[in-house]
Amino acid sequence: MSTFTIPVGPLHVALEEPMYFKVEVEGETVVSLDITAGHVHRGMELLAMNRNFYQNITLTERLCSLCSNSHPCTYCMALEKIAGIQVPERGEYLRVIADEIKRMGSNLFNAGILAHIIGFESLFMHAMEIREIVQDIKETIYGNRMNLAANCIGGVRYDLTTEKVKYITKQLECLKKSLDELYDIYTKNKFVRARTEGVGVLPKEAAIHYGVVGPVARGSGIDYDVRKKSPYAAYDRLKFDVPVEEGCDVRARVMVRLREIFEAIKIVEQCLKDLPHGPTCIDYLPEIPAGEAVAKSEAPRGELIYYLRTNGTDTPERLKWRVPTYMNWEALHVMMPGNKVSDIPLIINSIDPCISCTER
Amino acid sequence: MERKIQEDFAAELTEAVGEGFSLRWETDSKGVVTGWCRLDDHNQITDVARIVSKLGGRVITASAYKTKNAQQAEVREIAYHFDLDGCTCTVTIEIPASNGKVKSITPILKSADWTERELQELYGIKLVGHPNPKRLFLDRSIDEGIMDKLIPLSVAMNGASTKTLWEKVFAGTSKEVNG
Repeated sequence: MSTFTIPVGPLHVALEEPMYFKVEVEGETVVSLDITAGHVHRGMELLAMNRNFYQNITLTERLCSLCSNSHPCTYCMALEKIAGIQVPERGEYLRVIADEIKRMGSNLFNAGILAHIIGFESLFMHAMEIREIVQDIKETIYGNRMNLAANCIGGVRYDLTTEKVKYITKQLECLKKSLDELYDIYTKNKFVRARTEGVGVLPKEAAIHYGVVGPVARGSGIDYDVRKKSPYAAYDRLKFDVPVEEGCDVRARVMVRLREIFEAIKIVEQCLKDLPHGPTCIDYLPEIPAGEAVAKSEAPRGELIYYLRTNGTDTPERLKWRVPTYMNWEALHVMMPGNKVSDIPLIINSIDPCISCTER
Repeated sequence: MERKIQEDFAAELTEAVGEGFSLRWETDSKGVVTGWCRLDDHNQITDVARIVSKLGGRVITASAYKTKNAQQAEVREIAYHFDLDGCTCTVTIEIPASNGKVKSITPILKSADWTERELQELYGIKLVGHPNPKRLFLDRSIDEGIMDKLIPLSVAMNGASTKTLWEKVFAGTSKEVNG
């Protein structure tokens, strides 16, 4: 059979951000692929080294919209490590709440897009409608539907009143009911199963070899979650499970993401119940001494790391971060071959790609 | 479990490179352990990669940057961040400014692939033995090591707009001071 090369991207209906794939096919079966990145590279690391520590909180939040709380939060954690700042307990809990609300929104978005790609439009609309509950929480609590601007050095910039706690609790109840129904469809619907089971398989050994992170790793049976392995904020005091699936396919990855939303709800409920009294942030503008630190967190897509070097001035000497998606691209070389051309967008979506994060 | 991995790493490293390294572990208030290691010889980074691979670890990322030594000469350093079952160990090497070459660890740890390619195109550090050393993000027409000589927009525009702006700003402030 003859071999053809199909260009997928840089602009494609299923991928809203540009990434170029040269896919080799035999008939309608994928044989291999080549990934070309760099269409929207913004040089943000260099930009960060020309701005002071406070300006960088805003800058890092604008890296990407879906994990836009994880970036400034992890960056602040790196600064706090260097300056030896202890975040007040209430601030730590509020950081967790912001992070988990973002996780719910991000995972629902990815699950929704999966339905859109397989042509199940009513399920797509349903998932996005449920996501609106989370969006409403964001807008009510933080005044914004994407960038929460919750973090600052030494804590958070927002607080929850009793009224707002009641509001979130009510919204979460509403979310739980709708989510049960959604989870049921993703688990049992024949059409969804037929399109996702056994598609884009990434065996556990390959997942370890490629160093994939987040739901992609956990969908391939790797029990690794930064919140458990290297706890930060208030995660060491919270009870939650890390969903792991053994299927290694598109379905396993979406199941991990949906189950994570239930865990996120549990976490937020615990935080609201145990929310300690006291300040949400330190009450002074800290000076950052010379030093170096690494800070890690579990963003919705997986492990996020910030490496920061300071030299006593108010700008970083080096600020480097690695986003979760960055590690997951190469694994497509394992997931794609043997699958049909029609499954290409579905498999790409299953790694929950974030191009603006990857290219910074 | 974590404790053992740190001990194993230190023992394996001593066996591989002898006394040629410094290593310290930090534990934060949550009990998270972070390792900081510095190698005397940059070629030994492949030994570290082999140890990490043997211990089931992976490369998280690598950060290249410049520092100044005691004589104020510029020194190029690369900090490799490895994951050892949740413990992040940063291994730093110095690259001689004269040749700027480093042995690739991708053949040992596949997880270093993109990170190393990015180092090469942004910092002009030559990788020796990388299986796929082609450009990752930047167009072929852009020089390698562009991060070292990035030209600010104001300079690229010949400073025309900013110069006029600053002249106005300075004129305004000097009046205030004089007045």
